Amino acid sequence: MIHTQDKSSALGQGVLIFVYLTILTALEFFIAITFKSVSILIVVAVIKAALVMYYYMHIYKLNENSDDDTHSYAYKTGTNRLGLWLFLLSDTFVFAGLMAARINLLGFTRPPLNQLLGLAVTAVLLLSSFFMNRGETSMAHGDTKGFLNNIVITFFLGLGFLIGVVAVEWRLAAAEGLVASFGNPANGPMGGVFYIMTGMHAFHVFTGLIFLFVVWNNARKNIYSAEQHWGVEAVAVYWHFVDLVWIFFYPALYLIGKLIV
Amino acid sequence: MKKFFSTALARGLFWQLIGTLVGAGLVTGIRVLMGLSATDKFFFTEPAWVLGGFFGVLFFLAGNGSVSDWFKWARGIETPEHHEEQYTGWEKYLNVSLDHKVIGIQYTVTALLLICVGGLFALIFRTELAQSQLQFLKVDMKLFGQNGPELYNTLMSLHGMIMIVSILLGVAGIMNYVVPLLLGARDMAFPRLNAFSYWIAVPAAVLLLMSLVLGGFGTGWTGYPPLSARAPVGVQMFFLGVFTAGWSSILGALNVIVTVVRMRSKGMTAMRMPIFVWASVATSIIAMTATQLIGLSFQLVMFQRLFGMGFFDPAKGGNPVLFQHLFWFYSHPAVYVFVLPGLGVISELLPVFARKPLFGYRWVAMSSMGIALVGFLVWAHHMFTSGMNEYLRLPFMYSTLLVAIPTGVKFFSWVATIWKGKLTYPAAMLFVLGGIISFLLGGLTGPPNATVSVDLHLHDTYFIVGHFHDTIFGGFVFPFFAALYYWFPKATGRRMNEFWGKVHFWLMTPSFFVLTLGMMRIGLLGMRRRIVDYDPALNFDSTHLVLTIAGYLIGLAVLIFIINFFYSISHGEKAEGNVWNSRSPEWQVPSPMPTHNYDQPFEVVGEPYDYGLAGSKYVEFAKPEKSKNK
Repeated sequence: MIHTQDKSSALGQGVLIFVYLTILTALEFFIAITFKSVSILIVVAVIKAALVMYYYMHIYKLNENSDDDTHSYAYKTGTNRLGLWLFLLSDTFVFAGLMAARINLLGFTRPPLNQLLGLAVTAVLLLSSFFMNRGETSMAHGDTKGFLNNIVITFFLGLGFLIGVVAVEWRLAAAEGLVASFGNPANGPMGGVFYIMTGMHAFHVFTGLIFLFVVWNNARKNIYSAEQHWGVEAVAVYWHFVDLVWIFFYPALYLIGKLIV
Repeated sequence: MKKFFSTALARGLFWQLIGTLVGAGLVTGIRVLMGLSATDKFFFTEPAWVLGGFFGVLFFLAGNGSVSDWFKWARGIETPEHHEEQYTGWEKYLNVSLDHKVIGIQYTVTALLLICVGGLFALIFRTELAQSQLQFLKVDMKLFGQNGPELYNTLMSLHGMIMIVSILLGVAGIMNYVVPLLLGARDMAFPRLNAFSYWIAVPAAVLLLMSLVLGGFGTGWTGYPPLSARAPVGVQMFFLGVFTAGWSSILGALNVIVTVVRMRSKGMTAMRMPIFVWASVATSIIAMTATQLIGLSFQLVMFQRLFGMGFFDPAKGGNPVLFQHLFWFYSHPAVYVFVLPGLGVISELLPVFARKPLFGYRWVAMSSMGIALVGFLVWAHHMFTSGMNEYLRLPFMYSTLLVAIPTGVKFFSWVATIWKGKLTYPAAMLFVLGGIISFLLGGLTGPPNATVSVDLHLHDTYFIVGHFHDTIFGGFVFPFFAALYYWFPKATGRRMNEFWGKVHFWLMTPSFFVLTLGMMRIGLLGMRRRIVDYDPALNFDSTHLVLTIAGYLIGLAVLIFIINFFYSISHGEKAEGNVWNSRSPEWQVPSPMPTHNYDQPFEVVGEPYDYGLAGSKYVEFAKPEKSKNK
């Protein structure tokens, strides 16, 4: 593993990106409640996604293949990395399909959801991504203890997001008349779209939590080092991918379109 | 027998049964506690069957040991990269192996098994169609909760999907066996994922067959709602089976791409890769991404049935046409998943048997990628009559016609390769040529269907049925047989019987053309597809009888092949050398291939298909005692 940055500047970069993402999320919310421009929201979401993919998921590492010895850990990590990214690409098609269904069925309307609660769970997930990045950076510099601390925070923030969506948001939405079986005819197909989108995303968060637990448990046994920690990197990339999906689902469910009740 | 029951296959099936009962029992228990009905027409209720089917798959995989290494990794236990092969002989193929060659053969044999099942279903309903009126699938009969016509619909639907799964497994089989050998790799990039991809397809096939006995479904393999939303519980097993088989396809494709990108031997630049490798990459790009959409569309119908989420129910504000868009976004590119490897096999084998360089290597390599790319942009040509927005028809018509260009490139390359070649005609070559002709027929009958004005009349007629059977036979079945005849000595060290191979060809090919051309004829005259009966006044009786006879002859030919295949494994003529006089690296070493592939790594030093050019060389093996520069 070649360190291009020392630890403190890598952590500093993580903070800076988190600040950018926070500002953009706030901007998104502000746009949504004031002049409601869908095209600006798309631009903001794309910028956020690009920041996450480059600085948190390190997509540029796909190009790092200098090692010639095909049996080395570094070469195998490169192979694994390509496999993981292809898997995420494949997964993207599920979420893209759901997004297409949302656009087709709901158009420029949105479900009756609490926008502040949406902002809160989004902030929680974003914060968990920030701590995930800190954890991975710690491990890349051989700091297992720092990794363990950060991964615990990440885990509980992720759990908070999951509870926020499944236990709180679903309950509130059902109270608003947003039921899966479209029992309220005024809602049209909204209930189904809302539950399948958030449900599919929550399922990915749930699997991410399992993976977080697995690497936390293995890190306690000291099996990762600064040079060899593919498991940690994989979980980090997967976790940021879950965040990445939410970057698009959040505006699609909470921000764009007219509210019809 | 005792040995059989301890194999991974038997253990997996046992655990699938347990898993099904556990899942179904769990839901039934919850239903009882909630005061809902515990049983239904097929003993368990629909939600119970769905969770049971799902648990069955999970239990199968956990029970047969294909995921045990991953669980060890999750607990922080390291495992060796390759396990020593514990079994020999047939047991090796019924147990979990990480060797790509074993997995390739497992895929291939499973595919052959499913071809037989799907073909048997076809023969059953072809027999019923031989005459107008209902002969044996009568309205008053009852089997698996279905009357005769309903059973016809189920068999017709399952014929479609079982053949599709069989093709996906056959494609995966050839790719698995051949791609690492062509690349000079020791194995696939992810051997465990490779084994997982195969083993998940087995419970998927079981689920598909379960749909037959759980009331079946009359929707055709497309499963369009609203019909699929009302079909018996069998349709849920069908959805679940396809969903599971889809994961096999997705993960297998991912593995192929990573293998090709990361594990090529020295000197194998992109433009020196064998054409079959190019075709595998093209097909894998589609399979890896688009397959998610058929999974999603079927999943949405499952949820619609289970939870009343009316995505596709107009009464609840849903949109049935949305299903067709999601479904065809995979299911059209899927046909390129089927045919691209086959067309790759044709391009791979033709130079060997024509003793001439492949004409226009670069163009052929790029045409596979071109077809894959254009294939993503054509899906709505299946929906010209669906009631989608009319302005969509024109762009989809033109994008569909665009497919003819890269496909044409392949045809011109083949014709130019044959031109003035020194052709020899072993069974493998016969199937290559049969594939070209069949695919030509299928290709030429495509553009009429792509043209909106004609398609409005041809839609859902036997013309379509004839057309796609021509493309799939030409693009997959013929090249698949060619590949099996060609690479059989590599896998077993023996040849398949040439005489019976030729009988297989000369019996199957004319019968097949009679079948598809006959289908097109009555299709043009107005024969609807997917119906159990037709009006005697249409005068199709004699043609249908001929089609049925042709169908049986194809069945007989395939039976001859199957017997030849299994007989030759142990009794075929020994063939341990370069039987086809090929330049490809896998033929430069003795057959059968040793467990760890090449003893010495090779380096690519020339073009792959320079047959007949004096002094040209494709690969050079590193010899420890000699210096590398010749």
